[in-house]
Amino acid sequence: MSSTIDIVPESSNVIKGKAPLLGAPQRPGGWKKGLAIMDFILRLGAVAAALGAAATMATADQTLPFFTQYFQFEASYDSFTTFTFLVIGMALVGGYLVLSLPFSIVAIIRPHAAAPRLFLIILDSVFLVLATAGAASAASVVYLAHNGNQSSNWLAICNQYSDFCNQTSGAVVSAFIVVVIFMFLIVMSSLAIAKKH
Amino acid sequence: MSTTIDVAESSHNNVSKGKATIVGTPKRPGGWKKGVSIMDFIVRLGAIASTIGAIATMANADQTLPFFNQFVQFEASYDSFSAFQFFVITLALVSGYLVLSLPISIVAIVRPHAVGPRIFLIILDTIFLTLATSSAGAAASIVFLEHNGEQDPNWLAICNQYGTFCMQTSEAVISSFLAVVSFIIIIIINTLALGKH
Repeated sequence: MSSTIDIVPESSNVIKGKAPLLGAPQRPGGWKKGLAIMDFILRLGAVAAALGAAATMATADQTLPFFTQYFQFEASYDSFTTFTFLVIGMALVGGYLVLSLPFSIVAIIRPHAAAPRLFLIILDSVFLVLATAGAASAASVVYLAHNGNQSSNWLAICNQYSDFCNQTSGAVVSAFIVVVIFMFLIVMSSLAIAKKH
Repeated sequence: MSTTIDVAESSHNNVSKGKATIVGTPKRPGGWKKGVSIMDFIVRLGAIASTIGAIATMANADQTLPFFNQFVQFEASYDSFSAFQFFVITLALVSGYLVLSLPISIVAIVRPHAVGPRIFLIILDTIFLTLATSSAGAAASIVFLEHNGEQDPNWLAICNQYGTFCMQTSEAVISSFLAVVSFIIIIIINTLALGKH
């Protein structure tokens, strides 16, 4: 038993070497493009939150209206090493997020390319750790400022410096928003890499 | 111009309708993905060891000074500090997750090309990385205050009196940061194995 296959006659336009060269057909972006757009928008939000945290902490300053013969009662962010760490850390995170916006745009234009997303996931993990460490250590000091510690005789300074306390607490909350956004970014990018379609 | 192709079927007895033997889909060799999954499993075991070590060291951190006055005995233990309590509880959750993720890691070794287990591990690893980093950062902040104190709120450095307690808490924090580094390694490993098809 043998079978024959007939191939349809070739058209006269398509002669050797004269067929028009079209580019490779673009696959439709689909849900991956939507994820990439949301990634870009979340990145912009994280830039705002990170720079907001750094700015709020850096301007946290309060001088009490009374003073003694020897010194004036003042609290500012550089009285606390941890708050200085938060300002520097959030500035670095904000700078990284701004520099990663072009890669995010590339991921929107080419939704099926794995390389930009892979690069973003790896760097996002590193800066997630930096942001979380800064936010958590500042939160720990803010907790001490609110409550104090009895066995080490560390007094709760929030009772006197209430404005300073509010500003630093706000900065810590903003830093944790950055952390949550980073987690979403990493999860979204890995979902987009994993599924081929 | 049209072309015809003649396909001749063999008249061999074995290859007739319905009698060819079914061999099963051939397995693709694991290659580098299998090696990387094995490394992921080993790093996970190391992370379990360091988190459990950190919990044990912190929970045993206790020191009572040999002198006392009429009102109070000078004692420092981990539950004097909320950040250390948070540290112990959170790292216990993290080590529980790591133990429960070992079977999924083994599935990723056995089926190196499967996407499901890896995506699951990446998403959960990111969440628990954040948890581990925040607990390590909060405890590190308190340990820094113990060593150095803060001048403006008049928080004294208690390490000068409570030497043993200080050393135990510092060791616990260092061990927890090793766990954080392990988490980053396993996230990057799983992402690379996922990205390259």
